[in-house]
Amino acid sequence: MSDPETFAAGPASELDGREDHAPGDAPSEDAGYWVHNANFGLALSVLLTAGAFAVVRSDLVWGPAIPVALLVLAIAQMGVQLVFFLHITTGPDNTNNVLALAFGLLVTFLIVVGSIWIMDHLNHNMMPMQQLMQMQP
Amino acid sequence: MFGKLTWSAIPFDQPIPLITSIVLILVILGVLALVTVRGWWGMLWREWITSVDHKRIGIMYGLLGVVMLVRGFADAVMMRSQQAFAVGAHRGYLAPEHYDQIFSAHGTIMIFFAAMPLVIGFMNFVTPLQLGVRDVAFPTLNSVSFWLTASGALLVNISLFVGEFARTGWLPYPPLSESAYSPGVGVDYYLWAIQISGIGTLMTGINFVTTVLKLRCPGMSYLRMPMFCWTTLASSLLIVAVFPILSATLAMLSLDRVFGWHYFTSDAGGNPMMFMNLIWAWGHPEVYILVLPAFGIFSEVFSTFSGKPLFGYRSMVAATLFICIVAMMTWLHHFFTMGSGPAVNTAFGISTSVIAVGTGVKIYNWIFTMYGGRVRMTVPMLWSLGFIFTFVIGGMTGVLLAVPPADFLVHNSMFLVAHFHNVIVGGVVFALFAGLDYWFPKAFGFRLHEGWGKAAFWLAFIGFWVTFVPLYWLGMLGMTRRLQHVWIPEWGPLLDWSLAGVAILVAGAAAQVIMLVVSIRQRDRRRDTTGDPWDGRSLEWATPSPPPFFNFAQLPDVEGEEAYWTIKLRALESQRLDPEPHYQAVEMPVNSAVGFFTAFFATVTGFSLIWHIWWLAGLGLLGAFVGFVFFAWRDVHEFHVPAEEVARADRARRAARTALLGERGAEAAAS
Ligand code: HEM
Ligand SMILES: [Cu+2]
Repeated sequence: MSDPETFAAGPASELDGREDHAPGDAPSEDAGYWVHNANFGLALSVLLTAGAFAVVRSDLVWGPAIPVALLVLAIAQMGVQLVFFLHITTGPDNTNNVLALAFGLLVTFLIVVGSIWIMDHLNHNMMPMQQLMQMQP
Repeated sequence: MFGKLTWSAIPFDQPIPLITSIVLILVILGVLALVTVRGWWGMLWREWITSVDHKRIGIMYGLLGVVMLVRGFADAVMMRSQQAFAVGAHRGYLAPEHYDQIFSAHGTIMIFFAAMPLVIGFMNFVTPLQLGVRDVAFPTLNSVSFWLTASGALLVNISLFVGEFARTGWLPYPPLSESAYSPGVGVDYYLWAIQISGIGTLMTGINFVTTVLKLRCPGMSYLRMPMFCWTTLASSLLIVAVFPILSATLAMLSLDRVFGWHYFTSDAGGNPMMFMNLIWAWGHPEVYILVLPAFGIFSEVFSTFSGKPLFGYRSMVAATLFICIVAMMTWLHHFFTMGSGPAVNTAFGISTSVIAVGTGVKIYNWIFTMYGGRVRMTVPMLWSLGFIFTFVIGGMTGVLLAVPPADFLVHNSMFLVAHFHNVIVGGVVFALFAGLDYWFPKAFGFRLHEGWGKAAFWLAFIGFWVTFVPLYWLGMLGMTRRLQHVWIPEWGPLLDWSLAGVAILVAGAAAQVIMLVVSIRQRDRRRDTTGDPWDGRSLEWATPSPPPFFNFAQLPDVEGEEAYWTIKLRALESQRLDPEPHYQAVEMPVNSAVGFFTAFFATVTGFSLIWHIWWLAGLGLLGAFVGFVFFAWRDVHEFHVPAEEVARADRARRAARTALLGERGAEAAAS
């Protein structure tokens, strides 16, 4: 933020009363806090990634259960990314971040599902002549 | 050494591009010479090129957009005259390969380098002022965005003189755009110009989402923001959502072309139809990226010149967000005919028509804003009324095209061409001219000439209809788009009518130029000393015209909708201003050359990638990276404007306001 005065305009309590501000603004947390936070997140995500390799490479986990273990690690990884890098929390001051995430998911969902639907119907209708002939009995 | 670049790239044998480029180069050299002789370089560098002031950047966007608008309009005049001349036995004056470059360049330039910069220019100039803050969230990034856009525009114009431009239309559909069918550099010029400017646009989107969400003056809650800020937010959200799709799709096409991959080829497992799908997933939202801020401009104009708050403000906000979401659910209407079948076509036909509902809500809101108000027929108001009439008809032809069986008949015909010009000219271009007249006094401190402004409006309005009604007609007769030669003699008269319309439009453009020249010469008489020339309602009118670089001496404290109107009423009632604040020093971001340097190296890189000069491309990238690292290590980001300077500027403003107060008070007493 280039303009500290925007936020320093009123006492912090006044800021908190506004429905729309997110972690980075709160004057109570300084830059050091966020560096620390990101480093901790980085460590966690490296651990989880290494863990995934370890699970596959060793026989710590019972063979058939490996996919499940990977799934668990992947979900944990998503959680770490959301909390430490995208700063998603359940706090009341977090609406912006949660909305941004929801918006991103919505857009991705619309484009991906829409494209699959469209291309699937296209491929079905626009089958090359040869293939169409082969399908005939 | 120089890749594919040889002397044969210069079109010595083609008089039109050659002469145009020579004239252009001479003009550029002339301007550079003038700047040197007058010793303006230092000033230009300090005050404009390296400026991170959102108002300056907005004005530079506007300048870029206007120059490119003229270039795109010249292309349009050539196309319309070629079609009018090349009927039946006549061949016209443009060869097919040249004509194809012109229509491709026209669409590309108008959308990416005229409409987008102008819209973004207004977002830049107006939004921070209306939000009551001193700059955008990331001022330096803003400068980088601008210069990257300019870099893309430069590359497109270089193609006129060195090499060629794409012949594929403004959206380079494969397989035509693959190297098998377009072996030249035309498509590569397109790809790299759009790629570079597209990154700039994406960063603008991020910047303005952040600005609107995070930088508002105290008390400016979401539902107190002026309508234009809402549309800036919606448009920026769409940019953030869909510009990555554009970049990815064009990157895949580049990979096909450079490395012979097969994303979109028709053989080896590629699928050209995937390109249509992806490009329109960006392309349809793109038209709303353009038109939403235009709606914002009209909202400001209707409310100001009707002397009333915007009717149904909350429904307007809802309609804007509704359009923002549904705009991402309609893209298939651009390829109903590709064969997805009835189920898919029906769904997208319905979603497309549903968008018109959101737009309809807005139209009624604007009409009811005028209802019962004291309407002043100023130039911006004329453009806005012309817009309502024009846009409603454009929307209706759109809804017609949204019915798949009807679209099968007129898809890619002149009817389609007429439709989208109907909405883009009537919606976006009219808004840009309305906004120009409306905010010009704020930006430059004097008003534009009313008479010439009105002449420009009427010529543009009549010229538009005379040009495009024949094209609707021709489309229904079966004329397809992008014809270099017209075989059917019966179509000749309609094409002549259309050309006559273009002549009226040329007169309209001339009226705009005259308006600017006359106003600049009379600027001392036309000064706006008050800062509030239109009796405005939002915070930009609380600043002097032009505003100081820090915008507000003290950030306003907003107490309701229509922030400035409330302040003004209070002052009028008590016949004095709010007490003088205790002035404090203000922190402002320092200038930065990183935008200019990045864009310079981006241009070098783009040019070498187009011509396959790999070593130079590497050097260009390295240069951009070095500039970035250099910038990242900068440790002074802000400078202080001393309290005395702030106080001096603000006391002058207060004196002007007090005078205005007396004037308005006397007016009220007299009436
Ligand atoms: C009422 C809302 C609108 C509806 C229902 C609508 C519908 C359509 C449809 C169905 C097409 C495809 C026709 C075809 O290819 O056969 C189309 C094309 C187009 N529309 Fe619209 N439209 C609307 C508003 C707009 C607006 C506001 C803009 C721009 C600001 C716009 C710009 C375009 C462009 C540029 C194309 C054609 C691009 C090309 O093929 O090169 N439309 N519209
Ligand atoms: Cu569309």
